[in-house]
Amino acid sequence: MINPLSRDICPSSGRHYLCRAKFHYNSGYFSSSEPARRFASMPLLLFFISLFLFPSAVVAQNDTIDRRLDAVTVTAMRPLSRIGLQYSAIDSAALRDNISLSMADVLAFNSSVFVKSAGRATLSTVAFRGTAPSHTAVTWNGLPVNSPAMGLTDFSMLPSYLIDRAELLHGASSLSRTSAGLGGLVDLATSPADIADGTDFQYVQGLGSFSTLDEFARFSYANGRWRFSTRAVLSTSDNDFPFINKDRKVFVYDDSHTIVDSYYPEEKNRNGNYSDFHILQQIYFSAPNRHNLGLQLWYTGSDRHIPLNTVDYIDSREYIKLQRDNILRAVASWQHSAQGMSFSTKAGYIHHWNAFDYAVERSPGAMNWSNATRTSSDTYYGNGEWGWTPRPNIYLSASLSAKYDHVATVDHAALAGVNSYNKGRCDIGSSISARWQASPRLGLSTVLRHDVAGSDTDAPTPALFADYVICPAYNLTIKGSIARNHHFASLNDLYFLPGGNPDLQPEHGWSYDFGASAKRNLSPSTSISASANWYDSYINDWILWLPTNKGFFQARNIRKVHAYGIEANLGFDSRFGRDWALALNANLAWTSSINESQPASPADKSAGKQLPYVPKLASALTGIVSWKLWSLQYKGSYYSRRYTMTSNEETISGYLPRYFMSNLSIERTIPLRSVSLSAKLAINNLFDADYQTIMSHPMPGINYQLFLSIKI
Amino acid sequence: MKKFIYFAAIAAAFALTSCSDDDEPGSPDTPTSVDGLFVVSNGNYMAGNGSLSYYDPEAKAIYNNVFEAANGMKLGDTAQSMSIDGKTGWICVNGSNVVYAIDTDSYLVKGHVTDITSPRNALVINDKKMYVTSLYDNRITIVNPSTYSVTGHIEIPEMDASTGSTEQMIKIGNYVYVNCWSYQKEILKIDASTDAIVDRIEVGIQPQSIAYDGKKYLWVLCDGGGWDSNPIGFEAPSLVRIDLASFKVDTTITLAEYSSASNLRYYDGNLYWIENGVQRMSDKATSAPSAPFIPSTSYGLYALDINPVNGEIYVGDAIDYTQAGLVSRYNSNGALLDSFTVGIIPAGFCWKLGK
Repeated sequence: MINPLSRDICPSSGRHYLCRAKFHYNSGYFSSSEPARRFASMPLLLFFISLFLFPSAVVAQNDTIDRRLDAVTVTAMRPLSRIGLQYSAIDSAALRDNISLSMADVLAFNSSVFVKSAGRATLSTVAFRGTAPSHTAVTWNGLPVNSPAMGLTDFSMLPSYLIDRAELLHGASSLSRTSAGLGGLVDLATSPADIADGTDFQYVQGLGSFSTLDEFARFSYANGRWRFSTRAVLSTSDNDFPFINKDRKVFVYDDSHTIVDSYYPEEKNRNGNYSDFHILQQIYFSAPNRHNLGLQLWYTGSDRHIPLNTVDYIDSREYIKLQRDNILRAVASWQHSAQGMSFSTKAGYIHHWNAFDYAVERSPGAMNWSNATRTSSDTYYGNGEWGWTPRPNIYLSASLSAKYDHVATVDHAALAGVNSYNKGRCDIGSSISARWQASPRLGLSTVLRHDVAGSDTDAPTPALFADYVICPAYNLTIKGSIARNHHFASLNDLYFLPGGNPDLQPEHGWSYDFGASAKRNLSPSTSISASANWYDSYINDWILWLPTNKGFFQARNIRKVHAYGIEANLGFDSRFGRDWALALNANLAWTSSINESQPASPADKSAGKQLPYVPKLASALTGIVSWKLWSLQYKGSYYSRRYTMTSNEETISGYLPRYFMSNLSIERTIPLRSVSLSAKLAINNLFDADYQTIMSHPMPGINYQLFLSIKI
Repeated sequence: MKKFIYFAAIAAAFALTSCSDDDEPGSPDTPTSVDGLFVVSNGNYMAGNGSLSYYDPEAKAIYNNVFEAANGMKLGDTAQSMSIDGKTGWICVNGSNVVYAIDTDSYLVKGHVTDITSPRNALVINDKKMYVTSLYDNRITIVNPSTYSVTGHIEIPEMDASTGSTEQMIKIGNYVYVNCWSYQKEILKIDASTDAIVDRIEVGIQPQSIAYDGKKYLWVLCDGGGWDSNPIGFEAPSLVRIDLASFKVDTTITLAEYSSASNLRYYDGNLYWIENGVQRMSDKATSAPSAPFIPSTSYGLYALDINPVNGEIYVGDAIDYTQAGLVSRYNSNGALLDSFTVGIIPAGFCWKLGK
């Protein structure tokens, strides 16, 4: 549970708050921080078995110190910076659900965005509101982390345990932080607020089906001035889940080579094994006179084999199909506030080395390489922000950022120059904004951004936001926005050979939002919240790779899309007595993303149709029931049919059927005198659904994970 | 991946000639009737949604997804071409690395061949031998079509394996002529009895397709490399005529620079190919036509073939490459007769000849 009062040490700047409402805050558990290192050397599994076999003998000694805090009501501070915004914050409990989750998994079950993935440790993209994955801006501690080459972000590479705070800013609301998020912004952050004073250590081990092993360790230390945290994640798996392959058959031949029988084989996911390692270092220093310094370093090393699709026979021989990544992200920040003003600067750097190898055995011992692609990208980022609060209800700010991206890619298996380029681009972005709490009920906000990408520029992107509290008792608020946004082409779109197009214009369009939200404390221990939002957006000059009369595909500004729909959320929290608690959170999105381009030819049937891989309906539900030291969690998500063809054909291969996914987990916390333990059993794909999110790529059926955690 | 798409975009239909048996120079078999037309559609790379359609010209009826319907399984990823030998159809499924043999009446699988890298086209030599060309390989695979097993390879000297490419094949007499397309410049001449490369000749950059005039010439359509920084080189597309007697280039006709030319076919004294529509040129001409025979503004024209009996022209249009493709039928004068919808990216035509 994040303490809302701790935001004053959040590295983000420009967060000024005005008392506008109240909400209910439930505290968690607390226990002594007296270390008990004698447990550290015991094998976790054996230790936990003994705890569960003889729980009273161990837990009893802790009865006197383990208790819950009663629910308390505190005053919440609604920031001026959120006037009129459509945002959703991912609950910290969802981020800490279990160590095996990536941000792709978390968003799939806790938001209304569409997550497209071919399984764990495969490219997983996130799209808002019927847009493309490249239209989802992603920041980590304010640093843009979208790939400069592809323009998108692989969310499977972002373990949720390394994220302390995640917010989604839908559509135009993303302009409050950055441009380029035509669909929205996923704002991820690590936070010093999660580093408690003193010394803490946590270790989590996960054992799962398909030889999956997840390990997490965190060490942190903090005193009055300094805060340190080191986190590491290691995930390995054979990922060879079984499935019935109904896309191909095994043929049984007789001696005359005539097929006498055939059947759908029970296969295992082929070539799905992976090994991911992450280490995250955070250092913060609070200097006198409100000077806050921060440094965050995140290294990722990943070896991922690329799973074969269901119709590939390449494994009749030895083969290699492997992706490797080395990523270093670094952000240094300085923040200062004095006399109603705030100043902050950030400097960031990202290095990403990616290798893709595809080779097939040509003869025993000799491989024939089709791809040996090496891509190296570097991003240098600098940002400065200034904020001023001339009056308690007015906040003015300005920012200036510069980002230089450089990408060098070459395929060593091909002739020199094939699929190769070596290019860079410098992007400059500036913004000014004003936020005004015009009355206790009315808030107005405006942002004006201007961006230059290399030698290309586009018209400024203005945004106007407003909200109005209709009924304070229910915190019933209506909000709306009007904005123009744009997205510049990625370096691949501009320079990839063949087909990159240096003449591409930025994608751009206007969007309109209107919605309402409400929150009501039904009792001191029960609250309910709801929100619904309608949006209407137009994207012009959408970049697509299409064939040309030159004989190859080329990126072109070709598509015009009208996306509109509804996003809704419902939340319920309640405590019953001292022992029971219930939390429900439901999200729903109805999305219509229509291609309004002129038909490419008289035969083109894509005009007026839903874009491929955009579900009309997406929903997610999470529910947690807690009783004393136990908690039972259910997570469900539903995606309606997704067309795979622009013409929305109702044929066999024209769409992916709808599916409903359910996960269930049960957790027992065991607080001891100086150690907090927990064990969790998770059942994924509870009803063993047979589904695909990408055509011809299998997904795992029912599977199990056990997580053991120790926190000192 | 883009490279793969590029390959798939340029390499279109398998040579019509592999559907017939041209046994001797100057005396090709002339079919008297056709039962139907198979249309092989690529599908999208990695999506595994390649498909097979069957068109009955007599009834003007199209039957889509016949392979999947008959066999209860997918055809595979990036289906590339089909050729027929007797009652057996050989379908090369490039992205799935498999060649399926099907019964041409029931569409049921009779066998399948693996251990071939990115198969492009298959040509049956005799009951015991079939050649299969490949992308990303510098070998032609020899298959026993009776046992569906790989029996050997024809190595192509001085061709790099990772960028290797062999594409279409035409058997004329005892020799098989092969165009080496992707990042290549050559035509191979293979002795079908010994499997030896007996001669090779350099033509233009990236010979994309070949056609035999039934008499003494092999025509080659070179795409010129496609883009100006192609490491194999870049030039205007061209038509090259090879005298089979001497196996020398006899004539070269340069086409418009920066045009995309593909799918060369020969019918009744004329050459046909795709280039801003459908081009037609007399085999006596000395320069390229100034205007398309069948003009088109579509960038998605992807497959072309001629009905060997009546000269009707079939053109496959991939449109935007992510929707059902369209096959348009024109009479021999270039007038549109009708059209029908097939799978995603119609890439290969194969005639099922009548008896």
